[in-house]
Amino acid sequence: MARNRFDVDETLESPFQIGHLKRALTYIKKHRFKMLLALLLSSLASISSLFIPKIMQWVLDVAVPDKNVSMLLRMALLFVGIILMGIVFTTIRSRIMAFVSQEIVYDIRKDLFAHLQRLPFSYYDSRPAGKILVRVINYVNSVSDIMSNGIINSILEIINLIFIVIFMYSTNATLATIIIAGLPVFVAIILLLKPRQRKAWQNQSNKNSNFNAYLAESIDGVRVSQLFTRQEVNKSIMDRLALACKAAWLKAIYISNAVWVSSEVITQIVFTFMYVAGVHWMGGTMVSFGVILAMGQYVGRFWQPITNLANIYNSFVNNLAYLERIFETMDEPVVVDDKIDAKELPEIDGCVDFHDVTFAYEEGSNILEHMNLHVKAGESIALVGPTGAGKSTIVNLLCRFYNLNDGSITLHAKDGSTYDISDVTLHSLRTQLGIMLQDSFIFSGTLADNIRYGNLSATDEQIKHAATMVRADDFISEMPQGYQTTVNERGNRLSQGQKQLVSFARTLLSDPKILILDEATSSIDTKTEKLLQDGIQALLKNRTSFIIAHRLSTIKNCDKILYISNKGILEAGSHDELMEKKGAYHALYTTQSHDQGFDSAIA
Amino acid sequence: MQQIKWLWSMMDKPYQKRHIFALSVSAIISIMLLINPALTAILVDEVIIGQNPEPLMRILLMMLVIKLFREGMRYFMVITLERNSQNVSYNLRTRLFSKLQYQDMSYFDQNRTGDIMTRLSADLDWCRHALSYIDLVAVDSLFMFLSTSIYLFFVNWKLALTLVMVTPLLMLITKVYSSKVRPMFIDMRDKLADMNTAAQENIAGNRVVKAFSREEYEEECFDERSSSYMNANLSINKLWLSFFPFIELLANAMTLITVFLGGYFIIQGELTAGELSIFASLSWALSNPMRNLGNLLNDVQRFITSANKVMQMDCDKPRLKDAANAQDHPRMEGKIEFKNVSFSFDTTRVLKDVSFLAQPGQTIAIMGPTGSGKTTLIQLLARFYDVQQGDILVDDCNVKAWKLQQLRGGIGTALQDVFLFSDTAEGNIAFGNQALSEEEVFDFARRAAADDFISKLPEGYDTIIGERGVGLSGGQRQRIALARAIAVKPSILIMDDTTSAVDMETEQYIQKQLENLPFSCTKIIIAQRISSVKDADQILILKDGEIAQRGTHSELLREPGYYYDTFALQNGLELEEAI
Repeated sequence: MARNRFDVDETLESPFQIGHLKRALTYIKKHRFKMLLALLLSSLASISSLFIPKIMQWVLDVAVPDKNVSMLLRMALLFVGIILMGIVFTTIRSRIMAFVSQEIVYDIRKDLFAHLQRLPFSYYDSRPAGKILVRVINYVNSVSDIMSNGIINSILEIINLIFIVIFMYSTNATLATIIIAGLPVFVAIILLLKPRQRKAWQNQSNKNSNFNAYLAESIDGVRVSQLFTRQEVNKSIMDRLALACKAAWLKAIYISNAVWVSSEVITQIVFTFMYVAGVHWMGGTMVSFGVILAMGQYVGRFWQPITNLANIYNSFVNNLAYLERIFETMDEPVVVDDKIDAKELPEIDGCVDFHDVTFAYEEGSNILEHMNLHVKAGESIALVGPTGAGKSTIVNLLCRFYNLNDGSITLHAKDGSTYDISDVTLHSLRTQLGIMLQDSFIFSGTLADNIRYGNLSATDEQIKHAATMVRADDFISEMPQGYQTTVNERGNRLSQGQKQLVSFARTLLSDPKILILDEATSSIDTKTEKLLQDGIQALLKNRTSFIIAHRLSTIKNCDKILYISNKGILEAGSHDELMEKKGAYHALYTTQSHDQGFDSAIA
Repeated sequence: MQQIKWLWSMMDKPYQKRHIFALSVSAIISIMLLINPALTAILVDEVIIGQNPEPLMRILLMMLVIKLFREGMRYFMVITLERNSQNVSYNLRTRLFSKLQYQDMSYFDQNRTGDIMTRLSADLDWCRHALSYIDLVAVDSLFMFLSTSIYLFFVNWKLALTLVMVTPLLMLITKVYSSKVRPMFIDMRDKLADMNTAAQENIAGNRVVKAFSREEYEEECFDERSSSYMNANLSINKLWLSFFPFIELLANAMTLITVFLGGYFIIQGELTAGELSIFASLSWALSNPMRNLGNLLNDVQRFITSANKVMQMDCDKPRLKDAANAQDHPRMEGKIEFKNVSFSFDTTRVLKDVSFLAQPGQTIAIMGPTGSGKTTLIQLLARFYDVQQGDILVDDCNVKAWKLQQLRGGIGTALQDVFLFSDTAEGNIAFGNQALSEEEVFDFARRAAADDFISKLPEGYDTIIGERGVGLSGGQRQRIALARAIAVKPSILIMDDTTSAVDMETEQYIQKQLENLPFSCTKIIIAQRISSVKDADQILILKDGEIAQRGTHSELLREPGYYYDTFALQNGLELEEAI
């Protein structure tokens, strides 16, 4: 699989699609009534503001020459009244739009996050975490304004434009045409800039994403960097990434700022032409001097909305780069998903069958080929074999973290029926399986919260009980704050073995029908492990269990041992059976015993 | 304000000069905005009303030139500010990153990744914004307001004074609003960091989420953060909207006072109609800056909130650093001595009175129950934390007197919790030693038994290993980490449970390879398997932070205790049987 690295730009798969806009609209649609109301209020506010020049005119033309102080006061009151009305309208509009923009952001973020939850491991495995993170947080924050106020304002500006065009044409069609003639030029400039602008902002978002990816990775891996005194090398990498961010930003800014400059310049040129033409024709029947005066003002009032629109458009193009990334993530296919007619898996009895299973992570290099396996309910199965042979793969497939290339895996329900794991809902499947992964991830929060993750409704007693079973209670109780001790996501204050015990307790608390331990106890000392095994023996009684381990003492007592090698099961049987067979398992076992100085102990 | 002072100090000198120049230009061209309306007035008076077409072209041309000049200057200025703010962004990014690189481990124990990320993304962006935009609007608004006021004072001081009298009121509102909104911005920014952390952990822990089928729960948790962030934003908006009407009213008061008081003054004979028309045509130049003030207030408060966070990060100095009299050790021999070392995390005692000695080239093994302090011990050796009691000596020199870089440079460590970077397999192995040739990389990979599986990866050594080594099995990751550790050719090699996930045969192979490394080194092996430690010169048994037993394999087998019990258990013997 092609993995992305922090310093490699993620190329955008799809060209710009009108589909993105349509999709953006679905988030906006929900708020259409609120937005209409906001639009109405804004229109009322601008209409009421139209009266202000009228009032000023009355004051200066009538009240002042007449020296009429009482009329002056009446007009002042009217003025204040109109202003207040405008302020009330504007305030309400702002409040409404604050809700709209915040809710749009919230909705997009919610959908994006929900989709991320359903994406397969391979999605997370193939790119740095920081690149996913910026999309959820930074990008979503960026698009809020353009999708709410940006839309309202552009509609207002367009309405504004329409009115002004009507006024202009009713005043003088020829001069109006001269004023509008600048528009195609401006549009041409925008169209010319657009592809570059879009590319520049996409590039900027890429560089920014690279920066964040490297940053996140460097924070998580800081211990390794310091151990290897890599700081200076890392700094030079960061320097390169920060420089790229800077260059990309400036390039985008150079282009984007050209938009308003051209609009301002065109305004002035149009103004010049209009005056020249107006004065040229003046005196004839066509143009009176009042007309020129009026048209001179219309130039500004026609081009101001256009400049505003250009600015909105600018930030739209800028944010489109983010929006595309967000939608791209949402379009990422969910490879492992519930079928449309997926059933709930009823309570299983623990019986597992692999039928002719073939699987490859990457096309063409099969990890497993035509593997068959029958596990009886309550059996304990050990998986041994060289690293990378596919032991973890087998249990990952059972949990349906990946889809099979061929064959099927079935589970037996207590009611006697058999279910293919791909026909049932993931939730009903995985809640009945308890898998303890190789890396025991600890969330930031209290130790109790970390254990409770296995069963959200567990009481404190149940948590303590589970911890006691796996011998985690011993060290947790010794901590000053016991179960309420907070740990962070790197779990720095816990040793690797302690982390494994905590995540073991977490798995046990989920009360799974099938327990899967994938190198679950590799960092736990042998004595604790022994105590732990004794402790969970009772728990394992009625459960099927799969255990992957290298320590033979851990696996010796399993009902069945599978030696995984060469894309399948090489040997299967109990410890004694396999020892008699004198095959691969026998070789493995004897190396380990000898290696541990068995002879010297006897001697 | 200290925030501004600090931010300013982050800008390179030549950029500072350009910045001041650009802002001055901006002040001037904000005044130029008043010229073209004046020229239009002349145009109307002379050409149209005066029926004199002669100056038409001249005035129009003048206006066009002024406009071109002004917009050109503005473009130039905006770009300059952008460049300067990018200079600061770049400086902050590299500077803070470098601080992070050298920061204490306890700093990372206390600060969550999501919070650090927020500081270097959203917070840093507000610092940039302050220099590229907020200061520009502030200068523009201030100068427009000042220059217009001064001009109007000359036209009619009484009316102008009345207009300017609004300002103290505005100041009052500004003050009250700022003090009320500040805690809310701090709250909002913390909510953002919370959300960032929640998302970051969810991404990092996605395997656990799936294993427990906790997708819905995660969505609920995230939703909670996301909606608190939304609500924090909305409360700021609510507060703002309770002040906005007053600011807007004051801005409109400019026009109101001009027209009505102006009108009254004319009636009273204090003002001429011509003077009033000047006031009327310029009232926007007073009210617009006041409107800008509202946005400025919010932006400035938001900036201060963020700047404090970034500043704090800049001020957090690592406590562990080279002593002033740190000695220079060009080459480490590898002698290690712990003398009565005790260490506690906060109040939890982790190590107690630990003493041992390792001569160069020796192998020391450490065994002990989970949480007995094994990993802490090696972290102290690399001076990730300072001991509270006792001394740790490397080559007879206290680690506190070593230069950190030289100390750590002499130590190669394969950590228990393997962290790999999203780089190629080759890049990961050469992580600590950039000068490594390709052949050497292959060689070290072979010694760590990693060559076999790396060669089988789709692109061999050029295959990009996912972050944290996702996609590789635990044993494979450990082997890459081991290759990375020996690739620095260290004088002290530390293997912290490095082969726990590796099968027996491979481990044996690795052990043989480690005996014949092309350089000599002292080895510290932490392991749970007897097979990993039995050949060590000295085996230390740590229990509750103390050395409970010590000796060689055969010595320890002769006395009852942890080692013997472990041996028996791992060989599947019942204790009685073995005796």
